[in-house]
Amino acid sequence: MSPDACVRTRSENPSPKLTPQVPSLCAMERALPTQQKDAEATGELNGLFDAMMRKPGGRPGQAPPAETPAESIPQQTSSSSSCSVTESWREDRTRSVEDNEMSLPSLATAYTSILRGLGEDPQRQGLLKTPRRAATAMQFFTKGYQEKIIDVMNDAIFDEDHDEMVIVKDIDMFSMCEHHLVPIFGRVHIGYLPDKRVLGLSKLARIVEIYSRRLQVQERLTKQIAVAITEALKPAGVGVVIEATHMCMVMRGVQKMNSKTVTSTMLGVFREDPKTRDEFLTLIRG
Amino acid sequence: MPSRPVINKDPIMNGHCNGKISNTVEDYNRNEKKCFGDLAVEMKKSAVICEKEFSRKKTEDESRLPAIEAAYSIILRELGEDTDRQGLLRTPLRAAKAMQFLTKGYHENVNDILNDAIFDEDHDEMVIVKDIDMFSLCEHHLVPFFGKVHIGYLPNQKVVGLSKLARIVEIFSRRLQVQERLTKQIATAVSEALQPKGVAVVIEAAHMCMVMRGVQKINTRTVTSTMLGLCREDPKTREEFLSLTMR
Repeated sequence: MSPDACVRTRSENPSPKLTPQVPSLCAMERALPTQQKDAEATGELNGLFDAMMRKPGGRPGQAPPAETPAESIPQQTSSSSSCSVTESWREDRTRSVEDNEMSLPSLATAYTSILRGLGEDPQRQGLLKTPRRAATAMQFFTKGYQEKIIDVMNDAIFDEDHDEMVIVKDIDMFSMCEHHLVPIFGRVHIGYLPDKRVLGLSKLARIVEIYSRRLQVQERLTKQIAVAITEALKPAGVGVVIEATHMCMVMRGVQKMNSKTVTSTMLGVFREDPKTRDEFLTLIRG
Repeated sequence: MPSRPVINKDPIMNGHCNGKISNTVEDYNRNEKKCFGDLAVEMKKSAVICEKEFSRKKTEDESRLPAIEAAYSIILRELGEDTDRQGLLRTPLRAAKAMQFLTKGYHENVNDILNDAIFDEDHDEMVIVKDIDMFSLCEHHLVPFFGKVHIGYLPNQKVVGLSKLARIVEIFSRRLQVQERLTKQIATAVSEALQPKGVAVVIEAAHMCMVMRGVQKINTRTVTSTMLGLCREDPKTREEFLSLTMR
């Protein structure tokens, strides 16, 4: 089901904005369904990477699968292991604004039953509209599923002869723990060494927004951000460090108020060259 | 001259356990026909009795868990997630239990925790317990808000165990709350329990519903206060409390 859905969505949403500077992306996009099938067969793909929504009945608003151009797709251009990680930034939206509106009533009903299950009275004045508010809030906290990296980044990649480190630090990040559905918040520091191509600075923050506004695990979030930047810019190296507080540890469970979790992903030169990594880590600390 | 230590065998004097546990041990020591297994059984019996007092609330929670779990499954599906993926398999159960923990204040009663810890003490100066970490749930969006609570009171011949103030905060904050109401409930509870000359409660909190969504202002804090008795009528008392708590 997923491969068909994937192909259908892409044929509905061709990517006309792909610039000539990034031909490799076209090749990898075309290779997507084949890899998707491989991954489905092996079950390796993390649900978040392919971001496929499994809905057996389908929604009334969905279009039927179009003619699949799968037969005309060229062979896989890269190994499946690297693609399963790098596919993330080209993933399709699983949700649209219309989907949000259609799910709202059932979400609100679910929240009403939660309120009742907790022993509260959903009819009291303070709780009357709470199911609806909580449902819209939850949809906002997972709006990353509605957005595509490619839409956010396409126009803001510039050719610049700059080969020194670029760092955007202290990006506030808010996410939801996928295990307890409780907030995670913290800061993200991103650094990259451009290879003739730089990215609009706010786009780094937007990438963080897209991936953090989901049900996440901090390790995966760090990796997804790093991989997205790598795929978009093909820089010499990328470093991402996230320092966050997990409400699931602070408000419940072990209840340690001051604990912070730090994760990092270093790719390319950041991983291989200790001096580059040092420079990055020193600059984000100061 | 060597002096022997005097062992106080009067059970009433031991403030901690009023001597009940030591009685069991003394019985065991005196009655040589009992073996160690009997002693262990005696200790376990008292533990079982204690547990039964709380089990009613636990079973209530357990019976409601499946419904909350089912609701969370629906929520995950409606948000567009794949409920069969490994990270989300047990999430409905975990989220349901987390939510029950975050609202456990509904089961708790101020009288239960306060009863034994009110002491007669001839002290009439302000007593302040400040920087009590507080975590609650916004009743409008079901999203956490957290901050610090400062409680001060002017005793009227009765003082309360200090941790009990923090426990009162826990009872009222682990509910679906509105910060104004939370402040008032804490102040009223302290007032009713101790009949002090005055009570002051100040809460400073960050609301995730404002930080993570909506207007998205990260550094805003909401401050609410409730002043009762002398803390309300006498400006100097109020000032003393505020200057001691608000650095």
